[in-house]
Amino acid sequence: MKKLYFFFLSLFLQSLIITTAAGQSPQSLTDSTAFQDFLIKQKEIQGLSVRFLIEKSDFTDSIPGDSIFRFAETSPGLLSSVEITQFGNFPKLLDTLSALDPTWEFLIFSQPSTFIATQEYVANLIRNGDIQELSKEIAPDKDLVLLASNFQYVPFFKYKLPFSSDYKLFIVVAIIAFFLISASVMILFMVIFKAKKNKKEQLMKDYEPLIAEALTAILFEKEIDEIKGLSEAEVLAIFPAGLLSRPLFQSVLIEKIIGLNKKMKGDFKDKLKALYQKLGLDKVSMANLHGKRWDKVATGLVQINEMDLIEALPEVKKHANSPNFHVRTQAIGTLLNLSEKMDLTFLKDQNYPLSSWQQMNYLRIIKFLYPQKELQMLSLFDSENQSVRLFGYKLVRLIGRVDLLENLEKSAINAPDDEKIEIIKTYADLGAYMQADFLNRCLLSENPKLQQAAAQAIGVIGNNESVPIIENLLKSQPDFPMKMILLKSLQKLDSNQFEKFTGIQTDIDTQRIKRHLLDPLLNHV
Amino acid sequence: MVLSALEMRDHRRKNRFADYQDIITSPIAPGVSILAPAYNEGESIVQNAQSLLSLHYGKFEVILINDGSKDDTLQKLIAAFQLEKTNYAYFSEIETKEVKGVYKSVNSSFSKLTVIDKENGGKADALNAGINLSEMEILACIDVDCILSPESITRMVRPFMEETNRKVIAVGGVIGIANNCDIQDGTVTKYRIPTSLLGRFQVIEYLRAFLMGRMAWSRINGLMLISGAFGFFKRDVVMAVGGYFPKTVGEDMELVVRMRRYMEERKIPYKVGFIPDPLCWTEVPESEEVLSRQRNRWMRGTIETLQLHKEIKMNPKYGVLGTVSYPFWNIFEKAGPLFEITGFIYTIILLIIGDFSAVYFFALLLMMYLLTLMVSSFSILYEQLSYNNYKDKKDLNRLILTILIEPFLVHPKVILWGLKGHIDFITGKGGWGNMIRKGFKKAEDRKNIVTQSQES
Repeated sequence: MKKLYFFFLSLFLQSLIITTAAGQSPQSLTDSTAFQDFLIKQKEIQGLSVRFLIEKSDFTDSIPGDSIFRFAETSPGLLSSVEITQFGNFPKLLDTLSALDPTWEFLIFSQPSTFIATQEYVANLIRNGDIQELSKEIAPDKDLVLLASNFQYVPFFKYKLPFSSDYKLFIVVAIIAFFLISASVMILFMVIFKAKKNKKEQLMKDYEPLIAEALTAILFEKEIDEIKGLSEAEVLAIFPAGLLSRPLFQSVLIEKIIGLNKKMKGDFKDKLKALYQKLGLDKVSMANLHGKRWDKVATGLVQINEMDLIEALPEVKKHANSPNFHVRTQAIGTLLNLSEKMDLTFLKDQNYPLSSWQQMNYLRIIKFLYPQKELQMLSLFDSENQSVRLFGYKLVRLIGRVDLLENLEKSAINAPDDEKIEIIKTYADLGAYMQADFLNRCLLSENPKLQQAAAQAIGVIGNNESVPIIENLLKSQPDFPMKMILLKSLQKLDSNQFEKFTGIQTDIDTQRIKRHLLDPLLNHV
Repeated sequence: MVLSALEMRDHRRKNRFADYQDIITSPIAPGVSILAPAYNEGESIVQNAQSLLSLHYGKFEVILINDGSKDDTLQKLIAAFQLEKTNYAYFSEIETKEVKGVYKSVNSSFSKLTVIDKENGGKADALNAGINLSEMEILACIDVDCILSPESITRMVRPFMEETNRKVIAVGGVIGIANNCDIQDGTVTKYRIPTSLLGRFQVIEYLRAFLMGRMAWSRINGLMLISGAFGFFKRDVVMAVGGYFPKTVGEDMELVVRMRRYMEERKIPYKVGFIPDPLCWTEVPESEEVLSRQRNRWMRGTIETLQLHKEIKMNPKYGVLGTVSYPFWNIFEKAGPLFEITGFIYTIILLIIGDFSAVYFFALLLMMYLLTLMVSSFSILYEQLSYNNYKDKKDLNRLILTILIEPFLVHPKVILWGLKGHIDFITGKGGWGNMIRKGFKKAEDRKNIVTQSQES
């Protein structure tokens, strides 16, 4: 230990000399103690090392930590340790060797160096910025606490949370959170929705036998007058208490009654209607007509239609021109079905075009009603709405109203081409031979669609004048599909003339078409 | 998800008021030509044809096109349906490979059936031959091995009949997966999920694509693809645009885009509809080799279609098609695999240069994983709410397990197959590279292009 003190004392003295000599050395190198602290704090300095020296006579076989020092004889009687470059544990190493009374020397790039030279070397490194003084602490000129007290405290929010200051990471985590929350909410919603749906389905299943039992009992045990005469208490007693007021029960009940009504006839139908009204379900159907959702309104219309609730017709009429396609379709269907006075004149004033779907629905109802009442089909011909006019021409054909052909003829005069095509189809289907001249004129039209429709129809209702027109058209080199239609019509109109014509015209297409038309397997194609 | 949910809600509400029995017999309902190309389908062709002939509809014809099969497809049809070669005057309004014969049955029970025998020219060419022969207003283009529900025509025809202000030019349907399911009279009676991971992955993928993707696109009238296995088209529009384009492997998508372009260029209001009801089922490939070929083909088809119609890219003249659907397909469907592989390579580079941030990496990975889970789980729940076909709880659990592992086990393979599609397109596999790169200036340009039959 004495040597250690001597080492630091010598450092101190030497540093005093350096300070005096250099004058500009850093504060930390001014004395040996400061230099020691400096070295210990720095832990390592590039190119600088120290080695321990002991007398050979002091050396024993069991030096503690010899594996670190690895003493070797470098000069007679003197042992040197290896170079130590880590100054952080310097005091500890000295303590280990204290019993051997070691001395040491500095080495710069493995060359022995004096303390002054070593100090100068370190000072240069600091000046050049090659090493930073880890021990350096700039002492304030004034007391910081006193200075701080002169300023009012303002919190600096920006770096309050390091997480939020990294905006990219923040965005990513926010998105993750969003996905997690959305997924959870969605799945939760779905699970609740499904649970509700399952519960609803189960309830509906439970209601069905109750309803079936009650309806069977009433329909088979009570007469219609008895049903009409049921008191409120009796009506409520039909089903278990409280059920009749539940919307789901009402809905199942309505469905059941409508289902039965579709299958039943005569008395049973009347009984079901009376019961429907007695149970107050007609009010439910009427209330549906005022619903905000289109499907609710359409459901009400279907119920009114199925249960023949004539008293609801004024309300139904309000929906006949609804902007919603489904509501409009159901309302018109209901009106046609239920109204005694209702005919097709109201369709004439429809603002919306009629789709094929609507036409299909109306056709079904009209076919059913046609034998029972006058539908004023003719009024459709005068509609401002082209789709309604076209539907009118179609109806003549589909219902077979030959008596309206005369009116159709009048309409055809000024009709646009696409209407003429529909009229021609009607003429052909009804076998209106008297319209052959009209078709002959259409055959010469410049509109290929009209020409094609006329060419197809002329095979059925053409006259003698049609044959030369067809032949002339065939000679004018029409395209293949048109040639096919014309030859087919010619064959139907006059097979002899067809043979004659195809015998003269020997072009490949004509001969192919001829073979096609004469092939019995293709007659229905 | 929101759009598809709204569309599904509306569809189910509308269905409540539709009486499909009417369509079967109504003279107002349009006629339907069912076109089914067949190539080496000898094993099942008779059964498939019988199934098509027994569909519930009044006015329809079935046209089977034997596309130069090397097996006994034609012979089996001739024997089963008492067919004879006719003198049919076939007119190639849309040009096709040579038609060797048109066959009809001498038995009037099969009067709805027509068989075309032609040189092999691929699916699109075969469909074009069928289109030339068809006589009905609506074309139903299907894969002959698909199982169709008896109600399929009535349901698919409805959108064509309903619209008043817009012309419905095409309607797509859902393709269900028939692997491992019980089938009776053309309908799946018992649903089970496939046994293999690839099969289960495709169940989820199909649910995502059909119930979510296409329903949402249908809501905004932005559908660009109708599956080639089950699609209905308005014949006059198909003829006007020149039918299928046989030079692309994505002929189904290409036709829809061209038909839409045609309508947009003429400013005719139109709609491409979609029916989510389960009406058609098919067996999906469960082998990696077949699935990789399929995905490669799909990718090339997508690239080719987008390339052919690059004119519409971000072009407001084409409305939703040009400004929404096209960019979406370009970025997410076409370039998706490229983005993903770029991300992978970038991560590797970051790891090598030591600039890798584990926090960001795992945060982003988690984000994408959660998104996948969210979308996939929604599609399953959506199916459960709408149709509830997979009733067995074990099936559901296995589907959920598939959702969890699919992003790690199957998705990387799908990406690689997609990349292979890109490479095959660049290297000109298929031989139509230059022409496809040039693209169509107008929808009707297809009619002016010399196709296979003239070149061969």
